[in-house]
Amino acid sequence: MKQMTRREFLSSVLAGSSVALLAACGAAPEAPAPAAEETAAPAATEAPAVVEQTGSTIEITYWGSFSDALGEAEQAMVESFNSSQSDVVVNYQFQGSYEDTAQKFAAALRADTIPDVVLLSDVWWFGFYLANAITPLDDLAAQAGVNFADYEPVLLNEGVRQGVHYWVPFARSTPLFYYNKQMWEEAGLPDRAPETWTEFAEWAPELMSGERLAFAHPNSASYVAWLFQGVVWQHGGQYSTPEFEMTMLDENTVRAGEFYRSTTSDEGWAMLSADLNQDFIGGAVASMLASTGGLAGIQSTTQFEVGVGFLPREASFGCPTGGAGMAIPADTADEKKLAAMQFIKFATDENGASVWSRSTGYMPVNLKAVESPDMQAFFEENPNFRTAVEQLPQTRAQDAARVFVPNGDQIIGRGLERILVNNEDVATVFGEVNTELEQAAEPVLRDLETREA
Amino acid sequence: MSVLTRSNRNSLPGAQGGRTRLQREWREWLLFVLLVGPNLALFAVFNYWPLIYNFYLSFVDWNFLREEILLVGFRNYVRVFSASKFYVILLNTLVFTVASCALTLSIGLLVAMLLNQKLRGRNLVRAVIFSPTILSGAAIAVVWAYIFDPRYGLLSEILGLVGLPSPNWLTSTEWAMPALIIVYVWKNMGYAVVIFLAGLQAISKDLYEAARVDGADGLARFIHITLPGLSPIAFFLTVTTILQSFQAFDIIRVMTGGGPANATNTLIYHLYELGFVSFNAGEAGVIAVVLFSLMLVLTILQVRYMDQQAHYNVRD
Repeated sequence: MKQMTRREFLSSVLAGSSVALLAACGAAPEAPAPAAEETAAPAATEAPAVVEQTGSTIEITYWGSFSDALGEAEQAMVESFNSSQSDVVVNYQFQGSYEDTAQKFAAALRADTIPDVVLLSDVWWFGFYLANAITPLDDLAAQAGVNFADYEPVLLNEGVRQGVHYWVPFARSTPLFYYNKQMWEEAGLPDRAPETWTEFAEWAPELMSGERLAFAHPNSASYVAWLFQGVVWQHGGQYSTPEFEMTMLDENTVRAGEFYRSTTSDEGWAMLSADLNQDFIGGAVASMLASTGGLAGIQSTTQFEVGVGFLPREASFGCPTGGAGMAIPADTADEKKLAAMQFIKFATDENGASVWSRSTGYMPVNLKAVESPDMQAFFEENPNFRTAVEQLPQTRAQDAARVFVPNGDQIIGRGLERILVNNEDVATVFGEVNTELEQAAEPVLRDLETREA
Repeated sequence: MSVLTRSNRNSLPGAQGGRTRLQREWREWLLFVLLVGPNLALFAVFNYWPLIYNFYLSFVDWNFLREEILLVGFRNYVRVFSASKFYVILLNTLVFTVASCALTLSIGLLVAMLLNQKLRGRNLVRAVIFSPTILSGAAIAVVWAYIFDPRYGLLSEILGLVGLPSPNWLTSTEWAMPALIIVYVWKNMGYAVVIFLAGLQAISKDLYEAARVDGADGLARFIHITLPGLSPIAFFLTVTTILQSFQAFDIIRVMTGGGPANATNTLIYHLYELGFVSFNAGEAGVIAVVLFSLMLVLTILQVRYMDQQAHYNVRD
């Protein structure tokens, strides 16, 4: 009996203490906050003195997303900025893929440990804009001496909302048609990319031999929905209207889906690849659609000569832009914002854009860079790069469903995988994708109403 | 333990008055709180609070970024449960869990019995078999992605030797899941082997000798001595393997990303996608609740079973 009461007492103590602890935890975010702000306030007034003492060098943190050769080029860009002047030191921090970077940035915003410049991809920057997490750049650009008129308008305008710049193009790309010149020659085909998909379907059987296929699609993780964006436009369809009305069931969109389905089933000249570049480089496929951003890397790895061309047409021409740009967090301190803008200027001005483009294959985002003698000489030596740049004026910004709807890219991509791998009915799959996109777009529409009211 | 000390204390000559005893008990409780408190606080902060907060999140519309959090009632639950994808994912989770658990345990037991024999070099083999367990899942996944490649992979070479074509492991919806299961079993089997080995060595040799004297053959000895003797350990392994496989993430993330066409998407991976790719805290919360409920049921079953089996031991 005594044991029982003791146990009961203990358990009640336990329960009591855990409830108290939970209550304390629940209260924690609100209660200590004002105190912290009070103590922080006097410290803040002293802060500028500290900065002056350090010899007026401003240190800023840049979060980037590139590895391998691209990462080295990014690192080199930061180093040449740091050695070009003594006012600002950029601390380069690699964060992983575009997704990793965005996830960490979201977490950093909540934890108040934000970087001062962040690289955000086409599908991520808009969410941070809606959340008021990135800063308007026009005043900073004026102070830093950036002239937005120098930038490639197609690319620059994607980062503009209501006439204000938020996202500066940096590692911007477009898809290209890549082909294996050796296989082309063996098949007796003219040395150029196909002009239309119909033409390519005629060529495809010539390009197949043994296990080798004529073409490959990437999987959803490698952004098949980005490449299909162009194909949808070529067929006269779209993912959505700019007003977020989802149009996956538009007859032309479905027609594009039917075409994709047939490439891996009825016609059977294409496959879904888990590692597209590897399959192209290794000769498992004769051609692919892939980003200009990989051009330098692919050309330096292949044993064969690589040809590139504009995307094939169908009813019309269609080619999306893609890639990443730089943004400055809204809560970055003012003096650091200006320093951050100076880095962005350096990375995207005539010289920066030219160096970056030549070392990677990304588009020269600066018009002056395109015309620069360095770039022109480079085009002479590397005609493939010229093709990529020549296609640029014909590209356009992607549909809202892919870039402005959270996870829209993957929602569409997973649907395409069902069509490409499982040979499922296109209208059924696109119907489900349409519903999913509509649901995912709801919070965006709500946020847009308050953000752009 | 405490009963023992108390009876000792009571038997002391000239027992102290009630007040001092009360003080002493207070001191004991204080000590108890002191010892248990920090741990409990950590649990509360990092386990219980997130758990409760997650239940709350499953009823809201929030993207982690927005200032205001909208309460939407059961909308997230309706959305998750009415999407056909959810049932595909649930089935995937079930297939992955059951298959990897069954294979880990059955192969693990066979290997353990083999290594329980007096064979030359068995210590080396034990180490080799255990080593994948301590390797990083992400690194393993990268290597296996190459092994599975149908064109230049090691596995296609081996299959080619016996005249079999290699399936498109990671890009076909039929083979992606088996590929994951193979890697998962390969990685986790070593742990089961080690635990089974300990269990096998705990079974008294006398029992086998007695059975041999009674004329029981190898199979009969296995069925009537080894299996019952291992049952508490097998049960422990079943539960831990199931709970672990529910949380398998690294291999899926690196090898398939849940694809193709959701063929390898599991609850935990879907939770990651919804939470950290879509920033959809509400629906991710629903998946977490589903996962939590499944694990809770399993744990309750385990506790029930353990109560029944608590005092079962071959050596008694």
